[in-house]
Formats: sequence, C-alpha cells, structure tokens
Amino acid sequence: MISESLRFEGFDSRSWTNLISLFAPNVVSRLDREAMPSDAPEVAEEIPAERRGTLLIVLDDRERVLMALNTQQGRVRGLEYAGPDALQEMAERYHASSCVVLREGVMEEIGERLAHRVERGDDYLAQWLVLARAVREMSEAGLLLTWPRPLGNVPIPTIGMVKRALDSVLPDEHAMVVVVWSRNVPWTAMVLRRRGGLIDLIAGPDLLARWTGPLGGDWRRDYRIIGEAVERTVAPVHLGIFTELSTVRELLREYEPGAWARAAAVRDVIIHPAPPYMAVALGADAVRAAARESARWLGGIETLGQLAPLATYLRSRVAEVASVTATLGFDPLKLLAIWLRRAEGEPIDAPDSNS
Amino acid sequence: MHYWRLDRSAWRPGLTQLRDLGLPIVETYVPWQVHEVAPGEHDFGTQDPRKDVGAFVDLAGELGLLVFVRPGPHINAEMTYFGLPERIVYDRACQARSPRQNPVLQAFPPRMFPVPSYASRTYHEEVGRWFDAVGEVLAPRLWPTGPIVLLQVDNEASYYFRDAAYDQDYHPDALALWRKFLEKRHGSLTKAGEAHRASYARWDDVAPPEKFEAEIPAQLALHLDWATFREELITHSLAKMRRRLTKAGLKGVVTVHNLPLGDQGVAMSSTAIEEVVDLVGFDYYHARREHRVIKRRTLFLAGTHPVPYAPELGIGAPAWFTPLGNDDSLFTALTALAYGLRGFNLYMAVDRDRWYGAPIDARGNPRVEAGSWKQLLTAMEQCGFPSLSRRAEVGLMMPREYSRLSKVTSLLGFLSPTVLEAVGGSPVEACREDTFGFEGPIQVLWWKLIARFADALTAAGVPYVYVDGDAPAERLESLRVLIAPSYEICDPARWKRVNAFAEHGGTVVYGPAMPGLDLAARRTLFEVPQQGRRVLIDTEEDARDVVGELVRDLELARPYPVRPAPLETTVHEDASGPRVLFVINPGKRRLDATIEVPAPTTLEDLLSGERFEGRESVTVPMGGWSCRMMAIEGAAQRRSESGTAVAS
Repeated sequence: MISESLRFEGFDSRSWTNLISLFAPNVVSRLDREAMPSDAPEVAEEIPAERRGTLLIVLDDRERVLMALNTQQGRVRGLEYAGPDALQEMAERYHASSCVVLREGVMEEIGERLAHRVERGDDYLAQWLVLARAVREMSEAGLLLTWPRPLGNVPIPTIGMVKRALDSVLPDEHAMVVVVWSRNVPWTAMVLRRRGGLIDLIAGPDLLARWTGPLGGDWRRDYRIIGEAVERTVAPVHLGIFTELSTVRELLREYEPGAWARAAAVRDVIIHPAPPYMAVALGADAVRAAARESARWLGGIETLGQLAPLATYLRSRVAEVASVTATLGFDPLKLLAIWLRRAEGEPIDAPDSNS
Repeated sequence: MHYWRLDRSAWRPGLTQLRDLGLPIVETYVPWQVHEVAPGEHDFGTQDPRKDVGAFVDLAGELGLLVFVRPGPHINAEMTYFGLPERIVYDRACQARSPRQNPVLQAFPPRMFPVPSYASRTYHEEVGRWFDAVGEVLAPRLWPTGPIVLLQVDNEASYYFRDAAYDQDYHPDALALWRKFLEKRHGSLTKAGEAHRASYARWDDVAPPEKFEAEIPAQLALHLDWATFREELITHSLAKMRRRLTKAGLKGVVTVHNLPLGDQGVAMSSTAIEEVVDLVGFDYYHARREHRVIKRRTLFLAGTHPVPYAPELGIGAPAWFTPLGNDDSLFTALTALAYGLRGFNLYMAVDRDRWYGAPIDARGNPRVEAGSWKQLLTAMEQCGFPSLSRRAEVGLMMPREYSRLSKVTSLLGFLSPTVLEAVGGSPVEACREDTFGFEGPIQVLWWKLIARFADALTAAGVPYVYVDGDAPAERLESLRVLIAPSYEICDPARWKRVNAFAEHGGTVVYGPAMPGLDLAARRTLFEVPQQGRRVLIDTEEDARDVVGELVRDLELARPYPVRPAPLETTVHEDASGPRVLFVINPGKRRLDATIEVPAPTTLEDLLSGERFEGRESVTVPMGGWSCRMMAIEGAAQRRSESGTAVAS
C-alpha cells in the first residue's frame, strides 16, 4: 500500500509534531517530560504513576525471570513472575500500562520467520502483516503474552482485505485531504495520494500553502479553495475533512454513535467531498445514535429495525458499499479512540474493547 | 543539502542561504541507487540534470563553499534500501545471513529490505565498481584543485541497526574472516580451542555461536571473541572501502566515518575505526529531555577522539523518528558544544523529501528557524570557538570487554542494545542478570558504576570525560585521574594501559574487584596499579565520598561552580585563559543560576546579547532545558589581553 518511491514533504517541525500529537499524543507529551536517568540503572522502587510504561519480562523455559524492565523506568529487580493469568495484576503492581512476557529466543524466532517469508516485491504493509502473523504465532504458542490484547480476537487481515478497505477510503488515482485549523490558521494538514495502487505522496501544510496561495482566514470558506488546489495539483479529491483542533480532538476520542454525524450536521466538521461510504457511515452513525436514544426512552426496546424505511435503506447501502469495518474485522476509528483514551489514562468503557 | 532531491533551480538559492547562515562547508551524500540507471551504467547529469553532482560541487565552489561528500555505499538518508540499488540488496551473494542462513531484514519505511554483508566479497566488488564510477566525477574536484575537503567512507556502519550479537553475520565470507580472526587472536587452532574450552580438529570446526549459552566464566571466551570479531569485521570492511576509494582516485582529503545513535551499544569500535579514517564522529538526534545522553556521548568523543565532531547534528528529523522541534535541535547543538564538540554538520540545512524541520526550505528560502542557527554560528565565529578547549582532569574508562559482555547477554534479539540506547534506554537494559559465578552481573554493574561516578563528579563540579577502554595511551596523557571499573575478569591489554597510566604518575581508581582472570577465564597475574585506589561502590553516597576524597587530596579543578543543582557549567579556554562559559539547565524547571567567579566578571550571552555582572558571583536566569553560551569578560580576560599586547 506504500510506494517504494513514497514522497513525504512540506512539513516543518511544528506542523509534523502537531499531526503526530493527534494520533499519538503520548509520543509528543513524553517529549515535554523530564527523562529518567536510564543510564544510571537504579532499581526503581517507587515508580511515579505518570510514568507508566510497558512492563517487559523475559523468561527461560523454566519460567525463571531472566530480565524485567519497565520501558519508561528501566530495570525492575526482584520481579517474580506470577503466571500468564496475572499479567494485568503485575502491570498494575509495577505501575505499567501494559505487560509483555516473552520466552527467551522469541525475538530471534520472529526475526527468522519474517526474513524467511517476506518476498521481494512485497510492499511495506504486506511485510508488516507477515511480521504480525509471526508475532501471532508466537502468541498462540504461549511464547509471547501481552496484556491488554486490543486485537486479541481479531484475525489478522490479509493484504487483499486491507486493499479493499483502502479502496473504499482512498481509491486509486485519488487524493484525500485533512486540514485542521486553530484560531483560523492551519494547525496541521496532510494530503495523501494513491497512485498505481500505492500511497505515493504524503504532503504537509507548506506544500498545501504553495498550491493554494493565500487563504481568506475563514476555514468554512477556505476548504473549497484547498480542495480545488489539491484537485488541480495532485489528483481528484475523494475525501476531504476540514475542522478545528478542538473538534477533531474530541471526535477522535469518541466512540459513541452519532458524534461524527452531529459534528457534520452543525458544520463543526466539513466533509467535502464525502464519498458514498462516508455519507452512508454518517447516516448510519446518526441512525445508530437515534436508535440508542430511542431504545433508552422506550425502556430498552431495540428500535433500529423500526426506523424503516431509512434504516432499512441504510442497511442495504452499508451492505453494498464495502464497509471498512466489515472488511477489516474491526472498527479502526473505535480502536483509535480507545488507543487515545488509554494513552491519556482515561477510563475505557467502550463495549467490545477487549481491554 | 541533497542535490538530487531538489529542483536544479533551487541549488543556487539553497547554497547561497546555507553560506549566509555562516556555514563554510556544504555536505551531500552521493547515492549509488540514484546514479545507477542499469548495472554498471551511471547517470551523472547527462539524462537527468538533477543528478549532475559535478555541477553541484562546482557551483558550491563558485559560491565560496567547501564540500563534504559521502558516496556511501550505504547512505540511509531515509532512502528506500538506504540508497543501495535494489539489485544489490536482493543479490543473495551480497546479503548478510542470520544463523539459519536467512537474509537479515532492516525494517525502516518504506520497505523492509535484506541488508548487505560487510564481509561479502561480491558486495565489495560491486562497491568498488561504484567507487570507480563516482570517482571519475569527484576526483578532479578534490582539494586543492576543487572544493571537496572531506570524504566519508560508508555510513553509520552498525550492521544497518540489525546489530544484536547473534543477528548476523553468518555469510560464508564472514565465517572465513571469523576463522582468520581467531587464528590471529589466538595464534593457532589448538590455542583457540583451549580458549574456547573446545577441541577443534580443523578450522572449519570453529563455528561461531548462534545464541548465548554460557553459564560459567570458562564458556564466555567464545562469545567475547564473537563480539570482538563483529567489531573487527566493520573495521575490516571500512578499511577495504577506504582502500578502494583511494584506488578510484578519491584520496588526499580528510576521511570521515560516523557512528549512529546508540554508540555504546553498537558493535563497532570507534578507536579502531580511527585507525582507518581520519575523523570519527557521532550523529546527534536528540530531544531536550535527553540532556544526559547528549552529555555522555559528547564527553566520550572528547575523551576518546582528538577532534570531537558530529557528522550529522539533526535539525529536524525523518518522519519515522521521535518528533523533534527546533528547540530540541538548538539545545542539542549548544549542549554538545558545551561538553566539548568542536564541529558539526547541520543535517539537514536544506529541506528535502522524507524530512521535516530544516531551516531552509526546498526552494532555498530561509524559514523562521534559520535566525537562531545564524546567531549560533556567528557566536562561534566571534569567539573563535573551534580553537578553544575544555580541560578535564578525570577520565571515566569504558571497558570494552564489559561492554561486549553486555552485548552478548542482551535478551531482546533484534531490539539490540543500540536500538534500546537510541530510543532512550541504556545499552545494558535488556541484559540477562546471570552472574556466571562472579560476585554480580558484570554486564550490568559496570554501566551502573560508571553512571554513579559520573553523577558524583557532576555534583562536585569536576570536569570529566569518558575514555574508551581500547583508546590509545595518548588519550590518557592530559588526565590526572582514571576511574577504571574492574571485575574478576578483565582484558589484560587494557589493564596494562591502566598500569602504565599509574606508572606515569596518574591516580587510578579501580574496583570493585581486583581482576584475576583473562578474557578466556584463565588465571592471570594482574598487577596492582601504583598508588591505585580500589573502591567498592554500592550506593551513590559511596561514589560521592570517593570523588570528595579525590577533590580534596588532588585539588582537582572545579571551575566556575554553579548552584543550585542540577545546573552545570563548562569552561572553554585558550592559552590566555577562560574565554567562554556555558551554563546548562538540564531540567524542565526555570532556575536562577548563581555562578561563583574568581574575580569581578561580566558574562555576555553570545546569542541573545544579554549581560550579567558580579563581583564574587553572577546570577543568570535559566529557562527550562536551556543552555547559554557566554563570553567571559573580567579580570582574567583583561590580564590576557594586556599580556597579548606586550607579547606583540
């Protein structure tokens, strides 16, 4: 899915860091925290709660702990392995947000399997799926255990499945554009182009500014100029998402039905153009939200089926349009929301989070 | 500045802006993959004008710039296959091998690829043909007939970051070199067998270890030999490339090699490489919070290499690194200068594909960030910074044998000590805890001991440097104290250098154990250093007590002490006395620095122009994670200026 001649350009350090902070806020916030003196590997007896890392344990065949460390803290001495059912408890005891237990030699085994299976011509995503399968094999053999397991029960998609999902989001020879404003100034932006089946361009605000020329300062008007400039310079735009920073931060963390539909309805987010799957997804999102609310009012009666003909129509359209969620077997937006909330230490109360 | 990634119309404005920043040299890679259009056929601008590296070098010369070229073969530069032609990385004869003879994959985007073998004769033959081709273009442009003054041999030769001890290289050519290495090291097959506690009938029997299996000291030798060999393989490969560059006509200018992030974990010896090239440096890509790492790496360069140099000091970063801002880059540069860096290559000065954050954009226009770099470069020029030096009387020795033990006992496979160190951990973080019958896990303890002494010296305000255990004796000449960790097992050659230092009047601090075993775990007589001090260090207080005694007994210099902790100062001087004082706040909290001065002094911030005065002390406000570079004006300087006048 990623071209070997991928171009990444047009970001300065601020716009790139801003973009990263949307999807991986802890990566950016960590830069603003003082580092632990990891080259003075002291025993971390009292681990401050704000420095949650991953508790990593390596065992030998007799389940003897060969090494334990907290990725944010350094080595952990004297850890006693309490067994595969106690990973959560161990993570909590050592103030870690997750726990990984490996058998000695597992990393090497993964490396060998990956090297043996990756073929010349495989693209980056295909290569990572091979890696994911090797990791899953180790996991299924009980040689690599993790807590939590956010995708623990989800089959690893094939490259064909991912390609079909991508076809919905960004068809070949098209572009998608996302621009986020803060106080009427573009805060970050990203243009993706797919060509020859592969993503071959990731462009940032500097390039976008060159393509558009000066903007008016009202993002609810400027979005059209941006879309036209991308269309003219890069490729026909399949999906454009334009919004403000506060809105996107909220939406990315939202897995309750209706949030995106509500934001689009009141133009807190402008989706233009909106490809069919997106229109349907927003419609379905609104219906799901309505169903949930009406179910609550009606004492728990599932009313989605009663919202015909709209719901029936939408259901049929959802079936027609290759749904990203159905194709992949998981909802990437929901997963992202869970990931973001977990990264920020918020409680996870979403159903089916496998957490 | 990467000429092939820019429109040719951007070359002149880019080079002009770069010169106007105050940079005297422009650096560029010369990528094999880009210039090779078919096997053995190269385009240097006849087909694609952007590939005219000769014209680029000539233009730089015309604009008054000198040139630093880096023709690889490996360049990384965030290029697919790290700048190597696809046909090379997929040529089985060129590929490094895993223990099971699989290729060894490098995972950087946008493609994982099989990395080449540093031992492969086929690979070296191909590299030779590339050097011949690029040599035709570059050789006529070497100094003094042309502007090229620096030439890099390969790039970050760290097994392409797949440098875990048992990751590679099991290529047949590597195995042949392994056996030659053992013959040279041990003298004969029988002696190699004795060292390894094995019975070898012929050299083909001497297989390298494929995983760590030692349980007792006697079983360590095979693994330590393997770790040493892997360092020598890199040195051997670079030497071969250097010779081949010479044969291609690329000779007579200063040669360079760069170590990546994670230099203490990496399977290469910078001191050995310095016997192959003229200048060895470290690449710097750090966030401000990594002050401790910047400090350690620079003090290692300052203590181990004659010219502390950064072949890459990141401004911005590739997209797949931890995000870095201009404040991070500027803090890294200032802090590295504070601890002794003397020169750097700002990488990237001009923006390009697969990069963000350069101070000059891809069309040659300066960005806002350019101003701060111009200030820094002007300040360095004004105070004659490259000619100043920082004096340190104490050396912390990094024993290479213990570092190798750390590498072979690392448990995370391809997440090697280098990778762990590069992402902010320590190179001993993932080592097994086994003691092998020693008092403790040496592979972890040596690092901790060094770190405790470093902390104690910092707290006492005593300048120090790190010295590689294999560094030549002249690197110890300027020191008065050498802190040399020692455990039950030890490299006799290193111990000999430690003793020689003591015989020449230096003070050696060693311990916690007196060594008794050589690297093959054979009983060996190790002499006690003359007037050496053996120390047992269990706690931070122990290290502070020892440092306190050293300061008192030897009257070690503590120039321009500063309070409160964790603020630090460093002093750079010339023959006339102290000229530049750096004040560093390694923490996030704003603090007022109170600096004790020997006489009424004015400190002028060379970047901001602010001035601070005091009779016995000077107070300077310090923002969080900040570093000030200040000119020292005062009695000492007035004395030196009048002295200069008299002399002239």
